[in-house]
Amino acid sequence: MTVLTLARLFARRSGGDAATVLLPAVAFAVVTMCTTVVVGGVFAFFTLDGPNGTTYRFLALLALVLLVVPLVSLSGAAARLSARRRDTRLSSLRLLGASSALVSALTVLESTAVAFVGAAAGAAASLAALPLFGLLHFDGRPLGGAIWPPVWVFFAVVVTIVALSAISAAVGLRAVVLTPLGVRTRVVSPRARWIRALVVVLVLAAAVAATSSLDSFAQIGGLIAVIAVLLAAFAAVLGVLGVVGPLVLKGFGRRWLKRAERPAQLIAARGVLDDVKAAWRQVGSLAMVSFVAVFTGIGVAFTQTTGSNDPATRLLATDIRTGVVLTLVMSFAMVACAVGVNQAAAILDRRALYASLDRIGMPVDVMDAARRRAVMAPLLVVTIGSALAAALVLFPLTGYTLLLRPAGLAIIAACLACGIGLVRLGLAVTRPVLVRLVTAGVVDPT
Amino acid sequence: MQNLIEARSLFKDFGTTRALRGVDLAVAAGESVAVMGPSGCGKTTLLHTLAGIELPGAGQVLLHRDGGAVDVAALNDRQRSELRRTAFGFVFQQGLLLPELTAGENVALPLLLIGRARADAEAEASRLLAALGIGDKAAARLGELSGGQQQRVAIARAQAVQPSVVFADEPTGALDSATSAEVMTALLASTVGAGRALIVVTHDAGVAARCDRTLHMRDGVIVETAVRGSAAAAGAAS
Ligand SMILES: Nc1ncnc2c1ncn2[C@@H]1O[C@H](COP(=O)(O)OP(=O)(O)O)[C@@H](O)[C@H]1O
Ligand SMILES: [Mg+2]
Repeated sequence: MTVLTLARLFARRSGGDAATVLLPAVAFAVVTMCTTVVVGGVFAFFTLDGPNGTTYRFLALLALVLLVVPLVSLSGAAARLSARRRDTRLSSLRLLGASSALVSALTVLESTAVAFVGAAAGAAASLAALPLFGLLHFDGRPLGGAIWPPVWVFFAVVVTIVALSAISAAVGLRAVVLTPLGVRTRVVSPRARWIRALVVVLVLAAAVAATSSLDSFAQIGGLIAVIAVLLAAFAAVLGVLGVVGPLVLKGFGRRWLKRAERPAQLIAARGVLDDVKAAWRQVGSLAMVSFVAVFTGIGVAFTQTTGSNDPATRLLATDIRTGVVLTLVMSFAMVACAVGVNQAAAILDRRALYASLDRIGMPVDVMDAARRRAVMAPLLVVTIGSALAAALVLFPLTGYTLLLRPAGLAIIAACLACGIGLVRLGLAVTRPVLVRLVTAGVVDPT
Repeated sequence: MQNLIEARSLFKDFGTTRALRGVDLAVAAGESVAVMGPSGCGKTTLLHTLAGIELPGAGQVLLHRDGGAVDVAALNDRQRSELRRTAFGFVFQQGLLLPELTAGENVALPLLLIGRARADAEAEASRLLAALGIGDKAAARLGELSGGQQQRVAIARAQAVQPSVVFADEPTGALDSATSAEVMTALLASTVGAGRALIVVTHDAGVAARCDRTLHMRDGVIVETAVRGSAAAAGAAS
């Protein structure tokens, strides 16, 4: 059997479920477009000078960093979907004499091809989107032509994203090969938990200490040192969130489980508890984004209420809010794509189970509600939780701005609501995959 | 004996494949029927058509309940789904239970689906599991159970709503012969023993021998019916 025949078989077999190709492609297109636009923004900001030039550069880099997490999680999700597709085919193709290494290689190739098509489409779409973003006002004037990055950036972004997807597809496949399905019985000993808590506290303290003594870092190493310290602090906080987030979701999951009365509530609660890390991976990137959005939103609104008369400061405050809104919307868009891709994979993963649930008379609406809830409940906890955390951290300011400048906060709240709506849309898009699976019926393996 | 479920000249096509070509069948309450035959002869299709999972191309499926008869094939999707939830129970070859739920929650699920309160449903589930000898496993996850234990959970789930008919598609197909016999004992006790009808597809002559009747199918028709205890076959169905 030649590789070519096999590749042709591959192409034919994947024809059945278009959503599993279309969703990752759209996801990669969105990632590419967001990345290109943000990189364009970074370039544009580096051309801005004036009293706040340095600040603009720093903020542009911060936005880029904030988007890295959802970007990586989205390409990981797309890779996992490819792994599922490989699993369903592996058995049949092996019967035809293909080795599992060959099937894996072809799957990586295929998911990379999908990533390439998506990324290329995204780059093309960004050509149309960039002029729109050029209309945005920063530093008192529209960005205009400054938003256009050099041509090599488009190629670099596409190549980077395709390479990332190839790597995560290969890693994802290995993970599927290595981890057998079954119950997760790993238990963290109380002592390990204790040490973890200590590490979390130490890391947070170090991050706070480092960021609050930025001045001294600036004196020693200038802007580069400041950026390095902030990035390190950011990474530290992300690391801490990675430990704390799943624990928080676990706490909520236990409460949901206890209170569940309807089947969808019970299944969703158990689903979250079954793998809190996975639940966190899906929505966790929004914790940071939501926190930063509310934090800066309140900060900006406060600057406006105190009526600083320095026009440059006022301008900077407005611009920061514009940047925050953009970052927020892009992060949610990527998470929505990742949710869509993850859900398509999850549905395919459980096709036999869903078919059997239909046979025992579970309405599709209940199945759909269960998987919807398993995503939306953690999502709401994470976004609303970190928004409240930010509001709490700035407590006196929060109350003050809420009274004097509610419009500024309303914009951020509206963005959060839109973002949540986007994720809900990502779920709605995968409903037909489930419905088709159930109504088409699955031929028994026997 | 009063017939509970009845099939009248069922036909079913999948594209150009004719899976059922004129099947007649009647099963009474408290009766157990085994369906045997080579792979692809239409056993699963017959089960699915009787249960309202598939619609027949021609023919009738009558379910007698509350003094009247319902034509299963004439109901819409939603009504058939409701019928499967309330009047039928299913046991598949692999448990096909929800892996994230405990054994007890899996058994309680059909009760939750018909609107029973959670505490009530889980208490009933524990009772059913205990009756099948795995009362201590109610809080266990499926990964912690053996194949035979998982099939008992599936059997408990199939009788949770006290259905009038239980369908089992090769319920012992993945089990060794000793476990297979135990699971069959559990299945018979919880269905026929409780006055329900049991229709079980099987490749295992030992399993079929424990049912009241055995139907042999070939190419979409019943070619022979063997009644337990009588030496001779009781003639073809058509
Ligand atoms: N959903 C389906 N789509 C197409 N053909 C099917 C479907 N289900 C069953 N068939 C075909 O109908 C015939 C009977 O299948 P089935 O009832 O599953 O047989 P058995 O259970 O006796 O092995 C087979 O030829 C099978 O390929
Ligand atoms: Mg079958």
